[in-house]
Amino acid sequence: MAPEARPGRILTGADVSRDPDERPDVCVVGSGAGGAVVAARLAQVGLHVVVLEEGPWHRPEDSTLREEDAYPRLYQEKGQRATADLAITILQGRALGGTTVVNWTTSFRTPDRVLAHWRRVHGVEGITPEALAPHFLAVEERLGIHEQPADEVNANNGALWEGAGRLGWARARTRRNVQGCQNLGYCHMGCPLGARTSMDQTYLPDAVAAGARVYANARAVRVEYRERRAVAVHAEVLDPRTDRPTGRRVTVRPRVLVLSGGAVNTPALLLRSRLDISGRVGKRTFLHPVAAMVGLYRDRVDGWSGAPQSVTSHHFADRGPGKVGFFLEAAPVHPALAARSFGGFGAAHQDLMAHLPNASALIALAVDGFLPEETGGEVSIRGDGRVRVDYDIRAPIWEALREGCKALARAHLAAGAQSVFSLHEDPVEIRDEAEVPRLDRAPWERLRVSVFSAHAMGGCAMGRDPERSVVDARLKMHGMDNIFVVDGSVFPTSLGVNPQLSIFGMAHWAAAHVAALLR
Amino acid sequence: MRILLPGEKEGRRGFLKKGLVGAALLAAAGGGAWLATRRTRPWPASRKPLLVFDAAQAAVLAALAERLVPEHPGFPRPAEVDVVSRADAIAAMAHPASQKELRQVVSLFESAAFGLLDWSPRLFTECGVAEQDRRLRAWAGSRIAVRRTGYRALKQLLSSAYYSSPATWAAVGYAGPPAAAPGPRREMPGEPPLRRETSAGPAPRRETFAAPELPPELSPPPPRPRRFQAAPVAPAASEPVPAPAAPEPVVPDVEPPLPGGARGP
Repeated sequence: MAPEARPGRILTGADVSRDPDERPDVCVVGSGAGGAVVAARLAQVGLHVVVLEEGPWHRPEDSTLREEDAYPRLYQEKGQRATADLAITILQGRALGGTTVVNWTTSFRTPDRVLAHWRRVHGVEGITPEALAPHFLAVEERLGIHEQPADEVNANNGALWEGAGRLGWARARTRRNVQGCQNLGYCHMGCPLGARTSMDQTYLPDAVAAGARVYANARAVRVEYRERRAVAVHAEVLDPRTDRPTGRRVTVRPRVLVLSGGAVNTPALLLRSRLDISGRVGKRTFLHPVAAMVGLYRDRVDGWSGAPQSVTSHHFADRGPGKVGFFLEAAPVHPALAARSFGGFGAAHQDLMAHLPNASALIALAVDGFLPEETGGEVSIRGDGRVRVDYDIRAPIWEALREGCKALARAHLAAGAQSVFSLHEDPVEIRDEAEVPRLDRAPWERLRVSVFSAHAMGGCAMGRDPERSVVDARLKMHGMDNIFVVDGSVFPTSLGVNPQLSIFGMAHWAAAHVAALLR
Repeated sequence: MRILLPGEKEGRRGFLKKGLVGAALLAAAGGGAWLATRRTRPWPASRKPLLVFDAAQAAVLAALAERLVPEHPGFPRPAEVDVVSRADAIAAMAHPASQKELRQVVSLFESAAFGLLDWSPRLFTECGVAEQDRRLRAWAGSRIAVRRTGYRALKQLLSSAYYSSPATWAAVGYAGPPAAAPGPRREMPGEPPLRRETSAGPAPRRETFAAPELPPELSPPPPRPRRFQAAPVAPAASEPVPAPAAPEPVVPDVEPPLPGGARGP
């Protein structure tokens, strides 16, 4: 235990000119909300940690704040990740620091009722609010998580604040992981000021300071295992300029392997490695499917300016048995993302685009995975090697999205919107309360209305029963002696809140269980 | 781009159930999509060679972009922003298998045989604009999910290509990134890193970012008539909300302690 003997470092693909063979205590695959926290905690107790990250090392000064640069550079599949039928656009980060480099900084603890549901339905023992509380506190302190000041709520979020307030709905300002934020409104393109406490600014430097070696541009291709133990991870090195393989390989032979690639890439790595003992890897994928309503206001909203998310309403998060809950937030309005999302083609689409400065985009996120019959989506691997995500939006979710859009329409109108549009291919326009029921008659069917996800969860569900889950309540894989999964893929349902703080907290908690295996 | 095409295993089963229409689509796709565009007047050579699409497919994309962005004051023509090259560059970033699927969709869209489904037995590029719009609507609203997928792929590709171009920002009233954005910059020796406020206190407020000076061709267009009436608009949020409840009391937990006593950061 002499971390000073191993100077920590971040290496990019350009720094790898041979084929390194690393033999650390722990290899962490993925450097996002789960991997970075685990890596830092383990390095700080003197363990030798190697982190593999397929994405680039994006520095704040690299941000051009242009959509045409940001999505290809900082998102999975160059910003083109979606379900196989293209019905759901999936926004997921791909960078050193993972999605924490591009998310909207919203920070919620895991709701108690979600943890209780996991215990009751999925046999997840030990992950209680009391057990997690000190870990949440530690992370919140390290990341400076705090509530957005009232005078720094932009007009886009202000619409939700005002609308929910006038309708008497529960509402709150969100907590955010930022320090010195200037409210530019470009969180999702990589903060140019380094003012977000994303993993590349916080836990990854902590890990490196404690001796961790972090490879960016290193894509884990396969986990090699023998009987019940992972023996090696094989990664290919990518050129930081072209993102194509350089031909170099990194081989890591750890004592313990921690998979933290997120809810799509961790199941994909396991499936590529044929490591699917129970047949449950890639199952129970949940997305918080999102529908949106666009309000047009007399005054400028400039939805691209100001903190992207600062207000939330969980008034409809729990709608009783048999119903899928939803929660309400805002989404930043930038031209290319808006153009992809708005309904219609030609003049109608163009007319909406022409009103972009006056547009406020509010979103309803469906809380999927809690009904007994819900099985969620599925991650699989195609014959040509591509990851495939399928997600069938079933009737209870459509019902939630429809009711969510009706709630958003009311919120917009209450806030003073002069007109509200759905994102149907044939947009439903609503000008007053009496027109809200028009949404009941709109087609709620895939590819007739834009649906998104920024919260991929599940795919390596935790649970007591090895036949029905992938990891146990200590996040160790069932049937494997030295593999842990520490990311959003272990959630057996969605969360009903933005996931990053749940992942931070759980990773902070899980580090002790990983370390326990190495003593 | 993920496009479920009839050639794909999962799509095919569901597709064949749809009977003749599905069979026709399969035949068109399987019989060599290039046939569909062999008579298409090729797109004139661009400034740089395309990476994904051939000249015929490029002509189809150009025609589609014309319909995505009809003539409208302030909106540059798609050709002015070189939307085809931009779309090609976006497509080139996708997996080779996804690129192939995109090419197939473009060719199917152009196909005269396929146009028969929509009572339009002509190449898309040879239709008048009204007929082109009708065909677009037929794909967008098709009862066959695979056609809606194809439509979605083309719409996302072209709308991303067009509206991410800075030349279109003025038309949509977007001033561009804040002037403080440093833009692409490489590390320079001896240069101090960007300062970050790490104290717990409030950060010093930066001056408001003014819209950058735009060259004349990017200046915002004159205000256009709004389609809605003036009405009272809610003021921005400022009402304070109650402080969050105190954190859960910390109770001893059962987890193994980290060796070395390291707890927290």
